[in-house]
Amino acid sequence: MLAVRDLRVTFPRTGGDFAAVDGVGFDVAPGEFFVVIGESGSGKSMTGSAIMGLTPPSARVAGSIRLHGRELAGLPDVAMRPIRGREIGLVHQDPLSAMNPARPVGAQIAEALHIHRLADRQEAARRAVALLARVHVPDASRVAQAYPHEISGGMRQRAMIAMALACQPGLLIADEPTTALDVTIKAQVLALLAELRQEMGLAVLLITHDMGVVAELADRILVMYAGRVAEIGSAESVLRAPRHPYTRALMQSAAISELPFKQLLPAIAGTPPGHATRPSGCAFHPRCPRAEADCAVVVPPLQPLPAGALACHHPLARAAVPA
Amino acid sequence: MSGSALAIRRARRLPPMPPAIVVIAWLAIAVLLLFALVPDWLAPHSPIALDILHRLQPPGLAHPFGTDEAGRDIFSRVIYGTRYSLGLAIVIVFSAALFGVAYGAISGMAGRRLDNLMMRVVDVFFGFPVLVLALAVAAALGRGLSSVALALGVIWWPGFARLVRGEVQRIRERPHVEAARALGVRGVALMRRHIIPFVVQEVNVRVTTDIGYALVAITALSFLGLGAQSPTPEWGLLIRDSRSYFGDAWWYLVFPGLMVMLTTAAFSITGDWLARDRHLGRGG
Repeated sequence: MLAVRDLRVTFPRTGGDFAAVDGVGFDVAPGEFFVVIGESGSGKSMTGSAIMGLTPPSARVAGSIRLHGRELAGLPDVAMRPIRGREIGLVHQDPLSAMNPARPVGAQIAEALHIHRLADRQEAARRAVALLARVHVPDASRVAQAYPHEISGGMRQRAMIAMALACQPGLLIADEPTTALDVTIKAQVLALLAELRQEMGLAVLLITHDMGVVAELADRILVMYAGRVAEIGSAESVLRAPRHPYTRALMQSAAISELPFKQLLPAIAGTPPGHATRPSGCAFHPRCPRAEADCAVVVPPLQPLPAGALACHHPLARAAVPA
Repeated sequence: MSGSALAIRRARRLPPMPPAIVVIAWLAIAVLLLFALVPDWLAPHSPIALDILHRLQPPGLAHPFGTDEAGRDIFSRVIYGTRYSLGLAIVIVFSAALFGVAYGAISGMAGRRLDNLMMRVVDVFFGFPVLVLALAVAAALGRGLSSVALALGVIWWPGFARLVRGEVQRIRERPHVEAARALGVRGVALMRRHIIPFVVQEVNVRVTTDIGYALVAITALSFLGLGAQSPTPEWGLLIRDSRSYFGDAWWYLVFPGLMVMLTTAAFSITGDWLARDRHLGRGG
């Protein structure tokens, strides 16, 4: 349903444009749980913003974003309006700042219905309560009357999801939806996303930096590094047999492998490239244990694999199963 | 933070009591509003009734603020004058705020080019000297309070436009505005529900303090003879008329002058208090 091709989001700067997203492409099938993973600055959130048409005013978006075959890239704001909320829902990282602090939670959910003329005021208010109940908010009619600061973080994120789902979009983009939550709540919210996707046939595009989050839920995984695709493939193949050294490093730094207690989790050496400089060749080469001379010079092309694609000059062997 | 469903925290505490001086300012404003609304209930005498036998009487029981050169009761004239001086100040500032907020909101949401154009227009109005404009309007339309209102209204709105434009540009970057846009909210609805409510408090502060400044401007223009004409009991005009008798009748000058000063102070104090507390309403 969603087909992204050669997406580039660039910011004009003196001395050459900066590409926050640099030639990213992927497909999301209906009902699929698709995960985009990467460190801060990898361009994963900017990819989400580009799909919603909500990039900052100075950004230039190139490439193609097709939803059900319809081109979204380059659509003016007015034309994006019926798509935002109606066809693509967005769940934000921090529901407290993403909600209007001066309006009750229920009114904000109802607004989505009202804006897209799916319900009159009374009906919208009634459905807002039903939606809150749908995302397992207990005492939904009371929570609907509450202001965002009056409910707990977990409830807020559930309300945010209810808001994004109000108009029954086919695709839900969740941009780090669990970052602001503590561990137990995080698991509940992810379970909710999985449940909704199962029961509503919703496609979910989850943007995260946390490998631990994706292991159980993802159908397919896109690993991004410095604005480019490092590796893309089915969750099974990416998690069981990562081919890109960066993917493996990400996995090793997350606590999903059954490491014995007290063993320190290995960190990835160095820091991800910032906005100032991007390394030449493969952007990961300064931090890569397998880097050789050619990595610093030639950008590795994205090569198709049986179950995905990979951009690496010296990939890990297919059989390699870490930990 | 508990994940409990019933973690609705009803933390609506009563705001702390404002300091005594603010309460006094509020009382003063309440009395002034009464003066403006129902002067005939409060004034002991008619503001225009002549009584030549008792001209230029010092303050006493019959005339708390004394009488003027025609024997009119200054206390009553001051009470009736509230409607002209303060009433007009309120009208000017409110109309300026209404127009300025709409103008600033449009400019704040507009693209760079339109915004630039609209702000240059504001600059032109900002740069215009009040006195010259007031003279021009008085020359064109004749002297009177309506000329004063027109001149001050034209001068006053750009301040609101600039304030609101800046605030709108600041608030439209907030995550909740982007979240609302992600839901498909645009245009007027976005403005009205997700941006303006967060600008209102700044505007309230500005309106309150500006009423005091507008009052001073009105009385100043009347004092210069451009505003109210006799026998309107406008405060600035009272001060103007008192000049010839200053040596013999201090009360004629002092009481209207005190009213201008106290009114401005009351609004200024209230405005400062609003400004100090405005962060309270800015939910987390």
